[in-house]
Amino acid sequence: MHEQRKSFALTAASIAAGVLTICCSVSLWSGPTAPQRGITAAAEVVSPREAVGPASPPVVPEANPTRKPTGAPAPPAPVLPPPEKIPVRPARVDAEPPPVPPVSLDIPNTSISVNIVEVGVDKNDAMEIPNSFWEAGWYRYGPAPGSESGNAVIAGHVDSQTEVLPFAQLRAVVPGTVITVGLADGRALRYEVTEVRNVPKATLNGSEVFRRDGPAQLKIITCGGKWLPEKGDYEDNVVLTALPL
Amino acid sequence: MRRSLYTVGTVLVMGAAAMAGPASAAETESQASLSVLHAVPDLTVDVYVNGALTLDDFTPGQLAGPLPLPAGNYQLAVTAADAPDASAPVIGPVDVTLEAGGNYTATANLDAAGNPTANFYTNDVSPVEAGKARLTVRHVAAAPAVDVLAGGAPIVPNLSNPGEASLSTAPGTVSAAVAAAGTTEPVIGPADLNLAEGTSTIVYAWGSLEGGNLALATQVIEGLQSTPGAVPGGQSGLAAQSADNDGAALGLGLGALLLGLLGGAVVVNRRRTARA
Repeated sequence: MHEQRKSFALTAASIAAGVLTICCSVSLWSGPTAPQRGITAAAEVVSPREAVGPASPPVVPEANPTRKPTGAPAPPAPVLPPPEKIPVRPARVDAEPPPVPPVSLDIPNTSISVNIVEVGVDKNDAMEIPNSFWEAGWYRYGPAPGSESGNAVIAGHVDSQTEVLPFAQLRAVVPGTVITVGLADGRALRYEVTEVRNVPKATLNGSEVFRRDGPAQLKIITCGGKWLPEKGDYEDNVVLTALPL
Repeated sequence: MRRSLYTVGTVLVMGAAAMAGPASAAETESQASLSVLHAVPDLTVDVYVNGALTLDDFTPGQLAGPLPLPAGNYQLAVTAADAPDASAPVIGPVDVTLEAGGNYTATANLDAAGNPTANFYTNDVSPVEAGKARLTVRHVAAAPAVDVLAGGAPIVPNLSNPGEASLSTAPGTVSAAVAAAGTTEPVIGPADLNLAEGTSTIVYAWGSLEGGNLALATQVIEGLQSTPGAVPGGQSGLAAQSADNDGAALGLGLGALLLGLLGGAVVVNRRRTARA
């Protein structure tokens, strides 16, 4: 079986050539409204434009002050909070210390026991996934495992060009399974699986999966469902949801 | 496609809000957001909005807000800190229009010649591309045109008071400095700026070159992140679930099922080829 799959992969590769190498990276959301990407900072400089200036000449104090400085139509009734209710602070930003990143993921009763690396976004606007068989990626721009709120998102490849990888077992993980995520500071976080389901890629709700607020959850994602040769992609994402214990 | 998905989400959220209380939904829809930056050195002031004292004893380098306000026309006036009312402003009065959903920053600052003035900026709160940070720089200092440098290299050239420039860049910490246009010798900084992914960081160069008190002020608008467009977890199809044993396929529409069968047939054919 293994040999057969290998030869299938090679044959398919020779048939579909580039399509396969594109693999799952076809973005099902990208369309005419997809943002521009891959532009360097220097090239993105927008010419300075004039700020909207004051509507009346600034500076000059009223030579003949009246209680009502202009004859403009009556402004809306003030609904302003009292001064003490308005947040005022120094206009500077103190960088928050980065969260402790996850370094390992173990799911019992599967061979999913991988190192976690930090990933971002690739040139196709897709989440980066490590190529190594023994690694999965944590989306470093979202919450980390252990954050008080939001979804920590970890994703791994379901297959390589030649092999089925451990993440192929993700879809069979049963609710109630306790997952362990190891952090760089040595802590081990435990999560209980509440749901594993196939979500067609065309309907994957990114703003839900990558939610940065709301209840803390762990989302573990790979590909699944049928292989769509014409797209060089799987039809679904397999999305596991787990809650912190 | 992405926009339409978000639109659906927005409609759902609005629907939920409407059920919770129609008034609050309508209110949120018609709100604008106003921040106020004090960028006049050595001057403590009061800020009046529509004649009402809104910021008391506001000191240089401070940022107030964001203040949610109903969309509409407002009059801003900056007075001496001991003024009894808004009748004798030192800056303004300035009439501004806040549009529903708009995000604005009003600055009390010096013009290029060193006179107190006010500026009214519209903040870009459109989504930031996934994996990027937005940086906006505004010149509100009594100083000639400047170059803004990151890591010693100009990223915004020749910016004049009260101009602004915006760019999208990789998130992370940059060493930012401001130099006279065409030079690289800093008149402000270098200072570390942390540009967080999915946020807009607005940096103001303020103060006075002549007064020797040029400085940077920073405002951050969070929550502008986009999500990755896909999670590409597969490479070859070797882990495909076949149509035969995938019960979920039964739940799909007939068209999708047919597509699935066709896809399966292709796979079977290829496997036969592979065996041969």
